[in-house]
Amino acid sequence: MNVSRLISRTVLWAFLLLTAALMLFPIIIAVFGSFKTNLEVTTGATLLPSSWQFQNYAHAWTQANFAQFTWNSVFTSVFVTIGTLLITAMAAYAVDRVDFRGKRFYIVLQSMTLFISIGAVVLKPQFDLMVALGLQTSLWGVIIILISAHATAFFMMIGFFKGIPRDLDEAALIDGCNFYSIFWRIILPLLKPALGVTALFTFRGAWNEYILPLVFSMSRPDLQTLPVGLANLRYGFGAASENQYLLAGACISILPMLIVYILANRSFMQVNVGAVKG
Amino acid sequence: MRKKIHAYIFTFPSIFLTLTLGVYPIFWALRYMFFDYQGFGEPRFIGLENFARVGRDTQFWQSVWNTFIYTGGKLILTLPMSLILAVILNRAIRGRQLLRSVYFLPTIFSASVMSIVFYIIFNSYNGVVNQFLIKMGFGSLDWLGAKYAMLTVILIAVWGAVGNYMLLFLAGLQNIPDDVYEAASLDGVNPAQRLWYITMPMLGPVMQMIIMLAITTSLKGYESIMVLTEGGPFGKTEVMFLYLYKLFFPLVSDSGSVQNIGYGSAVGFTSAVIVGVITLIYFKISKKLSNTY
Repeated sequence: MNVSRLISRTVLWAFLLLTAALMLFPIIIAVFGSFKTNLEVTTGATLLPSSWQFQNYAHAWTQANFAQFTWNSVFTSVFVTIGTLLITAMAAYAVDRVDFRGKRFYIVLQSMTLFISIGAVVLKPQFDLMVALGLQTSLWGVIIILISAHATAFFMMIGFFKGIPRDLDEAALIDGCNFYSIFWRIILPLLKPALGVTALFTFRGAWNEYILPLVFSMSRPDLQTLPVGLANLRYGFGAASENQYLLAGACISILPMLIVYILANRSFMQVNVGAVKG
Repeated sequence: MRKKIHAYIFTFPSIFLTLTLGVYPIFWALRYMFFDYQGFGEPRFIGLENFARVGRDTQFWQSVWNTFIYTGGKLILTLPMSLILAVILNRAIRGRQLLRSVYFLPTIFSASVMSIVFYIIFNSYNGVVNQFLIKMGFGSLDWLGAKYAMLTVILIAVWGAVGNYMLLFLAGLQNIPDDVYEAASLDGVNPAQRLWYITMPMLGPVMQMIIMLAITTSLKGYESIMVLTEGGPFGKTEVMFLYLYKLFFPLVSDSGSVQNIGYGSAVGFTSAVIVGVITLIYFKISKKLSNTY
């Protein structure tokens, strides 16, 4: 081992570890800060709290309404995930296995929704439609709109269909299965890895969504999800500048994602790469 | 024949939702951009008046300029950094999987939630960063003030994006066959040459897609800025799509502004065209560049 090689190694590892520290820094601040007193968050000198304030979480959960926000987030994300999986699996099955008129149109339509974006403009007619249907007073309006944006999930799903041989369909057909029972009994069980990855992607999107639930909860504070409720706390509900509750709230929102990430981080990373290839 | 009917039944929910909630809103906007409409009363047809106003709207063009600074700053920092990380982590070094997971971690969290955390970290009076700077004897910096707010917003965006692009570059790198490198090492190519003459050109097509993705995402991003600075102070961090959002949904803290649907639709159309034109220009240039290889 010569000297220049030793130096380049040191530089390399210094760079890698410094970057890692910067990436983790805000998360560490949030986690430890959520157990501090407000005074310690704003003036404290140490990373770790001098005494652990577990009641911050109890306070955020009850006083600052995070129980409600969490329930809304869970409810929304679960139904958006179920709906998106069902709709995209069905559509991908039809598009991959059947040659029907309008198939090309369907694919062009889905890819167009990925590329054309006029930002917040669409929220207004979407919201008005939900008002016309009477769905603006519940989270169902948010859920349906989030499900409607399923182009990426569709392309991820159809990518996996290539791996399911068509011979299986034909064999099942001979055994007396029809279009629907092939889907339920043959395709869906084989599609499990695809469903898992797509579910992860969809759930993350819905869980982290901010703008749409913000618009829906403007006149209905009881519809606030975690990101919305947390961001609104900036304006203070008598909790103005009580940073420890903001950080506790942030941790409540971060924690489920973190747990899933630790358990399934390879699938998580697959999600992003797959989304672009599709 | 029967099978085709089944196919229509199976694609129907997807088509129905896409048409009503994805396509209809675009036509809705294409109609209202010719109207004077504030959200109440009867919409009044005013032809191209809204577009004339877009042309005169210095606040909008300032936000377009800010968007370019934001996008440029974010890409200049994110892309080289994520490429370097990807190249390093593509090699067999110890702890590679763990490091990848750490770098990718920021991308799984909500941008708005993390912006709240960053708000506490970069707070000028008692933020974590300033406390540290003061203790080190550097004095504090007004991170969210007029002078540095854009820089802070960019740094936060970079934090959230590097891991994502690192992973995309990694996927591209893994498609480069090993024997190319083996041949090169037999010829005595050093690591720097290898990166510049082999990796980069072979990554060309993937790079082109990744950069395009990075450009369009950055041009359209506003969520984190909305939570962190709301476009302030003095409009210094106001980006195009945030300005657009406020025309439809005025912020609580900004009591002066009113909803303006007709004008907002025209601004939305203009913004979409700006994004489209930039994407097209990039596509032409990058194609020319990759053809020269």
